[in-house]
Amino acid sequence: MLNKTKSGFGWKVLSIALFFVASITAQEIEVNTFKGDVKYLPGTSEIWTEVNKGQTLERDGFISTGKNSSVQIKHSGDLVTIGEMSAVALSSIKKMTTDELLLALAMEDMINAPKSNVKENSVNTAVYGEKEGKEKSTDLSANDFGIMRLNGAKQLAENGLKESGIIFAKETYRKYPETKQLASYRIYFADILDEKGLYTEALGEYLEIKKLDLNKEQSSKIEAQINHINKILLNN
Amino acid sequence: MLSNIKILPQSSFDMNGYFGLQDFISIPFYNYESNPSNYFNTKDWGISLQYGAEFSGSFNSSIYLLAISKRLGDHSLSARYTPGFQKEFLFSTGESIVVNDTTTQSLEANYTYKELFGLGYSYKINEKLSAGLTLRFFEQDFKQQIVKPVFGDTLYLVTETLSEKLNFWKADIGIDYILNDHLQFRLASINLLNFGDDAITEEFQGFEMKQERGAFLAASYFPDDFLNLNFIYETTNSFQISATGNANKFVYGLTTFHDQYQEPYIAGLVPAFGYKTSLFEILLSGVYYFSDRTTEADFSQFYEEGIDNIINNRYSFDKIVLSLGVNISSTEEKKVELIDVEIIREIYPTFYDMYLDKPFATGRVVNISSEQVKVTPSVNIEGITEGKIDSPQILVEPGDTINVPFYLIISENLKLDRATLSNANFYVNVTANQPDDQLQKATLINSENAWDGNVVNLRYFISKEMNFSMNYAKNTFSENKNILDSLPVELYEFEKAKILFNNFVKKMTYVSDPRASVEYVQFPNQTFELKGGDCDDLSVAYCSLLESVGIQTALVDYKGNEELRHVNIMFNTKLSPEKARLITNNDSKYFIRKNEQGKDEIWIPIETTSLSNYNEAWNIAAEKFNREALNNLGLASGKVEIIEVY
Repeated sequence: MLNKTKSGFGWKVLSIALFFVASITAQEIEVNTFKGDVKYLPGTSEIWTEVNKGQTLERDGFISTGKNSSVQIKHSGDLVTIGEMSAVALSSIKKMTTDELLLALAMEDMINAPKSNVKENSVNTAVYGEKEGKEKSTDLSANDFGIMRLNGAKQLAENGLKESGIIFAKETYRKYPETKQLASYRIYFADILDEKGLYTEALGEYLEIKKLDLNKEQSSKIEAQINHINKILLNN
Repeated sequence: MLSNIKILPQSSFDMNGYFGLQDFISIPFYNYESNPSNYFNTKDWGISLQYGAEFSGSFNSSIYLLAISKRLGDHSLSARYTPGFQKEFLFSTGESIVVNDTTTQSLEANYTYKELFGLGYSYKINEKLSAGLTLRFFEQDFKQQIVKPVFGDTLYLVTETLSEKLNFWKADIGIDYILNDHLQFRLASINLLNFGDDAITEEFQGFEMKQERGAFLAASYFPDDFLNLNFIYETTNSFQISATGNANKFVYGLTTFHDQYQEPYIAGLVPAFGYKTSLFEILLSGVYYFSDRTTEADFSQFYEEGIDNIINNRYSFDKIVLSLGVNISSTEEKKVELIDVEIIREIYPTFYDMYLDKPFATGRVVNISSEQVKVTPSVNIEGITEGKIDSPQILVEPGDTINVPFYLIISENLKLDRATLSNANFYVNVTANQPDDQLQKATLINSENAWDGNVVNLRYFISKEMNFSMNYAKNTFSENKNILDSLPVELYEFEKAKILFNNFVKKMTYVSDPRASVEYVQFPNQTFELKGGDCDDLSVAYCSLLESVGIQTALVDYKGNEELRHVNIMFNTKLSPEKARLITNNDSKYFIRKNEQGKDEIWIPIETTSLSNYNEAWNIAAEKFNREALNNLGLASGKVEIIEVY
């Protein structure tokens, strides 16, 4: 099924690659307001710094929030609020079309697989979700940057930047493989794919999620979603 | 009266029937009667034997013909010995003598006509036209008993035999024209040139073969292999019509003929049936006459009309002939032709094995044989290849023309400091022996530093002189042994790359390629020798250092447009994503790629033209990769490409 998803991307990449590149342009980003522990990592720097109100941020930087903290970022006149325990790449704060999302998803596959005979990593040293229900009780620490990134991805989606949120989440799964075990996040973003009508991509994701340790509610939801998408795909 | 006798040598009739200018059997071509132009289809040597029998009341068998043919390029030669081509007539002269007053003895006359041997030559002017001639030797042996008075005391009458042997030669020419696969023509003379003895003895004068000049025209229509139609018309108003063909190596024919000097109008049939392989041929044929034949004949008719053909005349009997043919070739029969070759890819000697996957030339090959063949294309480039390089076999159907690829492998040790023109010899073989055809073409061989601009092919420069890189890396590590010994194992790749880079940049200067119009890439040892290079040279040199110590690398091709094209590298730290914090707190500086086992590993990019230090080169490359490959979706749009070195 993953292969089918990839080939689906391939077609779409070809069809939209020509007109895409110009649509992403550098835009001004600045801190509008913030509360609590908010940090900024510019470019390729190794050091996180405190932010100031009105501070202009580099587009290739990162921003993160601690417990009970938040930051409101002004981006081309739009305001984006990032809640507590989140981390966001500022380059991800951008509007994307569904086509652009597909292109970015295809690129995720490209960078992920240098060799043709790659297999999904079946052995994962899961930090979280070892047992059903454990995920819920996980106490997220500020050092757990992968989870902060997933929170950031959700914040992007909740601010209307759903496509960017999905891509940011996907990148997080790759760079922090343990986060792949967090079913609730993955269901959240798979639902967005479904909502966007990207059924093949959503189905691939649900089938992967199905392999995780899920609670009863998650299992039945995943089954329902898989059946629902299969019906749609069969009818098309 | 004697001048009425028409004893002519045979013209177009032969004992196999007429098969036209076909190429499926060669036996009929040994019959100069229907083949005065010596047309032959043999590829090298051919031998034929005709053994037959005549049913003249008794069964008289003999060897009719022994023949040999030889092809020399466009020339065909043949020779035949025809011991069975003879006809003997024994007549009573009408006179008799009484011996001892009781016995009457009739006087006899014996006329024997023989064709003993012949020679043939033809020349193939082009694929459609050929011409040739045949020269044949005949012998006539005349004997007649006469009564001669002997005057003495008493008048005696004694019988005496007059005899005379006359020889003569005759030559004919012919032209053969193959209009197309379906229509063929032959025009040939009959008795064009005759020279030899005339009878001196008065009694034999008028019985010599008197050769009336004539000609015949043959036309053949070949709608398909299994049915060929042939027609021969002679100026004497004789003609032959035949239907011949071949199927699955079997050959057959049926010839019917009208002879101006024989009855009935259609005088007889010549059926033939045979089998042919590439080596031998066998053909069984027969001559069946519709009129009744007897061994008794009236001298007055012979005296009045004569005969027109030694082997086919009104005094001939039904025959059966077994013909054998053997075709021997000291060289393989040419089955395919190489029409043309096109060089489709320039040759870069450093890309030594690239042409194993991508052909550098294609040739047009036509199967001129009547069977499916497997063609092996091969090439030898003087000074570039070590002998002939064979490409994979390709199946070609009869008559088909196809494109065949020529692959190549270049000697890894080839040194070529400048572009050169070399002769490429292209061959096509059907068997392992002699090539069926070959062509020579001048081919440009670039210098060993030449590059086609395709980043994928930089890998050849990386792998070249790997020993140099390995030694350089080892020396560098030994200078930094203390640092390496104190490192955790998991950071080996990362730190080795760092040590090598920091050592590398100290010695290098970025120099843009002065040969901008020509793609030129330095080998790693040359870059160190020259202490610098452009982005290609520096990326090649650094990749080579890393690969020489087992660090996996990839080239990153920023295509942009031609003027802004750039290449740098990324390498595999072998660190798992969970260990990323060992090298950076900024996760935008690395990328995750799966290895062949599906395990995630951290790769980091390095800008090889940033000749300050490792961290800066890493940062610059990461920023560029994030911006152009990821944020601008360059990887998806094809403007950025990651190319594995191995």
